[in-house]
Amino acid sequence: MSQSLRPYLTAVRYSLEAALTLSNFSSQEVERHNRPEVEVPNTSAELLLQPMHISRNENEQVLIEPSVNSVRMSLMVKQADEIEQILVHKFTRFLEQRAEAFYILRRVPIPGYSISFLITNKHTESMKTGKLVDFIIEFMEEVDKEISEIKLFLNARARFVAEAYLDEFVY
Amino acid sequence: MEADWRRIDIDAFDPESGRLTAADLVPPYPTIVTLQELQPRMNQLRSLATSGDSTGAVQLLTTDPPYSADAATKEQYFVSVLEALTQVRQADIGNMVKTLNDAQKDILVKYLYKGMSVPQGQKQGGILLAWLEKITQVSGVTPIVHYISDRRTV
Repeated sequence: MSQSLRPYLTAVRYSLEAALTLSNFSSQEVERHNRPEVEVPNTSAELLLQPMHISRNENEQVLIEPSVNSVRMSLMVKQADEIEQILVHKFTRFLEQRAEAFYILRRVPIPGYSISFLITNKHTESMKTGKLVDFIIEFMEEVDKEISEIKLFLNARARFVAEAYLDEFVY
Repeated sequence: MEADWRRIDIDAFDPESGRLTAADLVPPYPTIVTLQELQPRMNQLRSLATSGDSTGAVQLLTTDPPYSADAATKEQYFVSVLEALTQVRQADIGNMVKTLNDAQKDILVKYLYKGMSVPQGQKQGGILLAWLEKITQVSGVTPIVHYISDRRTV
């Protein structure tokens, strides 16, 4: 792991651990509803806690928004050029369409971020909190590797296709 | 206007409804700090940081932060705080964190998270993250929990 990635992941890990102390909390607005307070337009500010920004640089950031019964964590994946922007968009969209298989994945990211997770008290009650944090940290490690790998494959394929196509014109 | 009367949120007009906005949660301060009052402190911070006395600078910025100032003043004050924090050499951060007490660490964590949320701090993300890592090595998750639940912002 590179020297600057480790403090970044450590900060995300500790911040998530601090935020993931969730409790069951019924809605104060609607009777017999129980909804993630970080997601609903909220008329009671006391349920939302201080948001945490963690940034390695301008292009790699995490936003953690804690509330009494849910935590929303948004991730901005590094996008150095236009190809990476397209790849990140396709990749996160592929995952988001299968969001129910990931339980904590949000179907739409927060504006400005590549992918968002929503962890509620239901998740922390049915799953181990430590493992949830591990999953997110592992995801953050893997997604950068995955994107750069896809980019390499893409370039190799483009070169191969171009060679095969242009061979036609060689006499 | 009359067409929509069923949708009027009548609870919003009731002072007894118990609803709280973000402004209600800010604790009342006896005095409001202004930019003029902070100016000598900012100058002191800057001179400490540039003269190489970064221990003194960090001690100064982690004691009695201007909680009661308005947003624009905090923004200006934060620029000099960020300058002081980034002047510290990477190797000295660990020792400097050990000299802080728990309350000072809480304040420092507030500055770190604030720094990472504004563009000029994001450029220095590596240094701020190094500070945060050293703090968590010493006192674990505690200062972060304090940060989340504290309504006083820097």
